Amino acid sequence: MKKKILLKEQIKKFYEKLRENYNFYGPIEENGNIVFSKILDPEDIILNYYNSKIPPKSVILPQKEILFEYEKKGDEIEIEEPENIEEKNIIFGIRPCDAHSFYLLKNFFEYGEYEDTLFTRKRKNTTLIGIGCNTPRQTCFCTSLGGHPFKKEDMDIFLVDLGEKYLVKSISKKGEEILNQISWLSDATKSDIQKAEKLSKTAEELISTEIDIEKAISILKNNFNHPIWKEISENCIGCGSCAFLCPTCHCFDVIDEEDHYNNRGKRIRIWDTCQFTLYTLETSGHNPRPSKIERCRNRILHKFSYYPSNYDLIGCVGCGRCINWCPANNDLRIILKKINKIDKKEESIVA
Amino acid sequence: MVNRLSTIQEQNTKIEQLIRDKALKLLKEDEVDAIIGYSSGTIPFKTCPIIIRSEEDVDKLIWNNFCAMNLAKYLVPLIPTLKDEEGKNLRVGIIAKGCVGRALIHLAAEKQLDLKKIKMIGIPCNGIINRSQLLRELQQEEILEASISDDEIILKGRNFQKKFPIKEYLNELCKKCEVKSPPKIPDLVEACVGECQEISAIEQDFEDVSEFESKTSEERWEYIKELLSPCIRCYACREACPMCYCSLCFVDQKLPRWFGKTTELSETIVFHLVRAMHLAGRCVACGACSSVCPMGIDLHLITRKLEQIVKERFDFTSGLDPQIAPPMHQFKMEDKQEFILEEE
Amino acid sequence: MHKENPYIPKITTIKSIISENDVNDIKTFELVFDKSEDYKNFKYIPGQFSELSIFGKGECPIGIASSPTEKDSIKFTIKKMGTVTTAFHNMEVGEKIGIRGPLGNGWPIEQMKGKNIIIIGGGFAFSTLRSLTEFILDEKHRDDYEDLLVIYGNRNPGEVLYKNDIKCWQKRDDIEVILTIDNEAEGWDYKVGYVAPVVKEVGPSPENALVAVCGPPIMIKTTIDVLEELNFKGVQILNSLEMRMKCGIGKCGRCNVGDKYVCIDGPVFSLAELRKLPDEY
Repeated sequence: MKKKILLKEQIKKFYEKLRENYNFYGPIEENGNIVFSKILDPEDIILNYYNSKIPPKSVILPQKEILFEYEKKGDEIEIEEPENIEEKNIIFGIRPCDAHSFYLLKNFFEYGEYEDTLFTRKRKNTTLIGIGCNTPRQTCFCTSLGGHPFKKEDMDIFLVDLGEKYLVKSISKKGEEILNQISWLSDATKSDIQKAEKLSKTAEELISTEIDIEKAISILKNNFNHPIWKEISENCIGCGSCAFLCPTCHCFDVIDEEDHYNNRGKRIRIWDTCQFTLYTLETSGHNPRPSKIERCRNRILHKFSYYPSNYDLIGCVGCGRCINWCPANNDLRIILKKINKIDKKEESIVA
Repeated sequence: MVNRLSTIQEQNTKIEQLIRDKALKLLKEDEVDAIIGYSSGTIPFKTCPIIIRSEEDVDKLIWNNFCAMNLAKYLVPLIPTLKDEEGKNLRVGIIAKGCVGRALIHLAAEKQLDLKKIKMIGIPCNGIINRSQLLRELQQEEILEASISDDEIILKGRNFQKKFPIKEYLNELCKKCEVKSPPKIPDLVEACVGECQEISAIEQDFEDVSEFESKTSEERWEYIKELLSPCIRCYACREACPMCYCSLCFVDQKLPRWFGKTTELSETIVFHLVRAMHLAGRCVACGACSSVCPMGIDLHLITRKLEQIVKERFDFTSGLDPQIAPPMHQFKMEDKQEFILEEE
Repeated sequence: MHKENPYIPKITTIKSIISENDVNDIKTFELVFDKSEDYKNFKYIPGQFSELSIFGKGECPIGIASSPTEKDSIKFTIKKMGTVTTAFHNMEVGEKIGIRGPLGNGWPIEQMKGKNIIIIGGGFAFSTLRSLTEFILDEKHRDDYEDLLVIYGNRNPGEVLYKNDIKCWQKRDDIEVILTIDNEAEGWDYKVGYVAPVVKEVGPSPENALVAVCGPPIMIKTTIDVLEELNFKGVQILNSLEMRMKCGIGKCGRCNVGDKYVCIDGPVFSLAELRKLPDEY
């Protein structure tokens, strides 16, 4: 399909057309934070931003999600599936790193004998209209992880910000179907396309962090009991900032909420993190990860060792949110560089 | 002594030197095994808490107006790397701005640590800069460098450079702070090397709270709702607070489950307000909770209001004297109970 | 591949509740599926577990105590320990329980064929070992397996689970049952001593044998030491791990040991496999 142009002043029209059939999510500013929210007024859409505070995974994997609802009718129990799974969503303005996180999350929730259909169905019903990063942040390192500020493969429609307008490219069938419905987009010119290519190159050059991830992955296959974990976890305070702002973190807790008086209730899931003490605490009192040392280690290993081992993928997209918001400035780039300094001798895992 | 008339930049240099001199002395004279302090951060506005154990590392210790974390957090419960192989506690030194000192003293009042086993390197803090406020001022601009020059903070981005007067952009709690260096402990003068101050009570008028107080119930409720709605329940505020050391926080209790852990506004409000109540008479106004919040929630008004109530009702300010039991830990016959009993 | 919402339980009704011990904090619940097709689809092997729901209170992962050869109902033995298990103990016959499963990998019953099977259990953890024992003893399968030895230890006689089942086993000649309790007790006719020294005393041969071990961590550790002294190899010793679980299907993340999830790659692991995993369980 031909590349098109969407003028920034046409975004309102774009939104009006699409929201007829889709829940249109985009970046807005709320209390000083950029978050992906359902757009009620297209004037709210923020076009000039680096990335959102809360990753767009929150659109289809929200902090609180109903797994099912139940009602007690006499002796019987009736169960109801959550309602909004088949709704169609558009996430507008997603960055390539976050779009890649959707790929990683889909892979995880689909994997194995049991598919998490709540996520996979919502994912199927969600179209990603992403925008390349003309100016990556200092804390971005997507290129070290196989990403790129203009990576478009994980999206359905890819936009490049050319100033007053966007270059529009359909990537998937889903994207093409949407663009076919919008007849008023003008064609892109050769100079538009050339400008976009130039922007892609400049963006890549702006990424200042380079980490040898493959080396880290191979070192992390061993060294489970290496003393470096004590050093790395020393100033961690054990909050959930890194995990909750991480586009690839997906762990959750399951809780029942009961409405006694009306004999009904729901089972919900909420975001959880391996950084919390209670995460692995057993009723007997035994905790396989009793201190921050084990918990910090688990997070790094999960992303850079278990993920590659199980799915041949890296569980991090280099968005830099954890680096920007960790209270103790526990910088993931520094952690990976420290790991890379470990002597690559084989260390057995058994203590 | 750091001269208050010098610029903030000059003060920072002097304070940093004070820290390094005292730290080196403590390590050289084998008075401590480890020192907890701040090191340079990897991004603007951040410093990285660090634990040094040898004299060579003393130069890693820094001081600037981005030292937001309350280092007392690492002592209760004592982090695993501050114990030796046999599980015995190491002797610890700690860089103590006023609120860190207050936190240590209050923890001692709550019998959570032994001040005899700690060496505070007292410093006269000149305030912590309000990162959230400056980020909001700059809207979506990326700040590549934040540096302190004289009494200004200079923020540099790709295409801009802006200056702000530090005093106007300090954390709200820092603006009202009267305990800039750790309180002197009468029977335990040796607990503090460096600078500390004689102080037995603060002289606040809590003017900033009166504006909040003049709001109607409905207005206050709207304020609280708007303040707390961005919360994502990451508990960074709780984990950064030195007074939140309960082994099982009320949020995590299941038998009974008091309320939920979702981001439903009602549940979030209960969490923050109950936590605030649990901090009445214990909070040392360090502002770490607000500094670490990834969503930029600033709890200072709630903190200040509580501090005002405690001062008014119990004539108490936390963290000034380890011998005085905090008001929520005891009951005195003189305590006002107008909410249960009719006034005589 | 299961394509429906994996978090929605099927409904069962409690058919019977049997108290298994003197202090009455361990009970066996017999559950019957409300819909016969749900029962037909619930094909399990010994060693698997299910996530049992008490609507409004929560879910807990419980090993299946019945053998698939016992028809029409599924049994679970539950100890009263936390929120959900306490709620279980307050349930009555006729009330509804949600069930998701069967989950986990189970004991490797195919691999066990043609071998001597040694079952070693301690205390309350004997649940899935009962399932395995009943399965092997069933007339349809007994000839698939060689000698069957069961060593079961408890703190005191009152704590022995499945007393009636054990009495039946003791009457048979195709199974050897050795019971032991920690300290002497009046009226106890069997062995006295911790499980590990009893295993040592019995001295089973590693020749063509597989061992299934379940129990509290200290018992497992000491028993494994003894088994290794008796020349059992790591691949011959099978262990069922317990971890905190929520989803039971490998999605919530919390039961991982290294790159394995106990709920889907386990809970049964051989000692050889465990030795390759980090010591985080």
